[in-house]
Amino acid sequence: MTATTPATRPPRATSSWSGPGQPRRPAQRVARVLGRLVALAVILLWSLFPLYWALNTSLTTLSAATSRPARYWPSPLVLGSYQQLFGISTSRSGVAYQFGRSLLNATIESGGAMVLSVVVAVFAAYAFARLRFHFKRAIFVSVLATLLLPAYATLIPLYRIMSNVHLVNTYIGVILVYTSGFLPLAIWVLFNYFNNVPPELEEAALVDGTSPVGALLRVIVPVALPGIAATAIIVFLLGWAQFLFPLVLTSDLSTQPVTVIVAALNGQRIVPLTLLMAAGTLAAAVPGVIALVLNRHIIQGVTAGAVK
Amino acid sequence: MSRPASQGRLLPYILISPLVVFIGALSFYPTVLSTVQAFFRVTPLDPPTRFNGLENFRDLFASSAVRTSIANTAAYVVIGVVFSVVLGTAIASALQQHFRFRGVVLALVVLPWALPGVVEAVIWNWMYDPNFGVVNSVLRSLHLIGSYQVFLGLSRWLTVALIELSQIWQITPLMALIILAALQSVPRDFYEAAHVDGANRRQSFRYLTLPLIRPALAVSSVEALVLSLNIFDQVYVLNGNATLGSSLMLQTYIVTFQDLNFGQGYALSLVATVATALLSMTVIALLYRRSQA
Repeated sequence: MTATTPATRPPRATSSWSGPGQPRRPAQRVARVLGRLVALAVILLWSLFPLYWALNTSLTTLSAATSRPARYWPSPLVLGSYQQLFGISTSRSGVAYQFGRSLLNATIESGGAMVLSVVVAVFAAYAFARLRFHFKRAIFVSVLATLLLPAYATLIPLYRIMSNVHLVNTYIGVILVYTSGFLPLAIWVLFNYFNNVPPELEEAALVDGTSPVGALLRVIVPVALPGIAATAIIVFLLGWAQFLFPLVLTSDLSTQPVTVIVAALNGQRIVPLTLLMAAGTLAAAVPGVIALVLNRHIIQGVTAGAVK
Repeated sequence: MSRPASQGRLLPYILISPLVVFIGALSFYPTVLSTVQAFFRVTPLDPPTRFNGLENFRDLFASSAVRTSIANTAAYVVIGVVFSVVLGTAIASALQQHFRFRGVVLALVVLPWALPGVVEAVIWNWMYDPNFGVVNSVLRSLHLIGSYQVFLGLSRWLTVALIELSQIWQITPLMALIILAALQSVPRDFYEAAHVDGANRRQSFRYLTLPLIRPALAVSSVEALVLSLNIFDQVYVLNGNATLGSSLMLQTYIVTFQDLNFGQGYALSLVATVATALLSMTVIALLYRRSQA
């Protein structure tokens, strides 16, 4: 399929094959390159247009955002919505406080779930990957089986359990529920990473008298750091994206994360669209920037997690 | 080893105990509780809780709102699985070969999947807006519609299709990534061999690529199935509480947390969980069996 193998091409002038790098005629080659550029443009337009549209609306005035036909770029360009959200503008609205607080709540809840999931998963995944104990396979399979449990199965009972132990509308309650949901995936990704670390590395440390936990922390964790990072990022993004569970488990601004507040602002119908889109853009920007910067880690983790 | 044998023997159990407590208390116990309570009358505002057999299920299936949400969910699943897997395959094929900035393109394509679905739904709601939405504006400029239209909340199947479109947009990157990983594991020699044998591009896709990526197609179909069967965020924002576009998950939420009928909520959850498990197994069995033929 590459230009380096012309000798293997069948000597038929009518070959219908016109793979890339086989420029029979320059015109054909140009057509292929153009075709691929168009395909890429369509894919990028499809992937990015809604995000661009939110940004476009958030950067203009309400009257420009509601003009017919729509304006496809922000004109006039104003930052008023963002100033209002950050409470910089003179009209210090309740929306600014709600939004800021909900960002803080989302950070605490996703961050807490991230730390707790990674710590619990690192120790357990090490035990599954390296140590021998009774019922190991049964426990491992049962933990992974919960990956297949849909939200249906646990939403209502988790609400009732959290309600019974008075953890509804608390950070701890949300973090515990997130962690229980994200642990199986974290275990799976980390188990695969630990399995790829050569056992000789820690055997040397064990012979020198280091305890298994010491070997884990001093030998395996540093080597598996990319895997641990991938796990942490995925868990954080999953936590940030949660809506149904916090909708049920939180009841006021002391714990409601940004997803719940953005949906509430949308439902109120009195918040200007430009402000709503600015809030949406910022709520999406946190995971968006993380996903763009740490893209390689995420793709590794996703493909590891998906091939169950 | 010099350290005491007892410590070594206990260590694995100490290491896995936090995990076991979490999964036991917050996954297994709730699942069992939910399954059992589905056969009980559970209404916190009107105690006591008592066994009522299949009454919850009878009441649910007698409700037209529940029946509508089940039919809608079937449509969400069919549209969602077909389009996200087909689009995912197309995107994966386009991104298969190396080109400059491929990494950047891949990172941008993954973006919709990494962002909160409910925030995305709020954006789609604005795009579908009947008065000032960009969808109306584009269709009007292309003279496909004479005047601005109300897209959501009038026609049932149009509403369902447009809500699912916003979910397809969100989940397609996941399907593309899974399929892309499979495409890249097909050795290039295979294509060269097919080419030598006189296969054209369409034939080599049909008879070479497709059979080899079938396991990935099965995995991504199951992922799409579970995601669309669980659709909630998009329906909550784009449909609201209306019966018209309601999904099984939204109906479960309404029955449980607005009508406060927990018993019926448990029963509906059980139906959905069993349906998810059976359908997932069916998809896997179908796609894997055909790969052996």
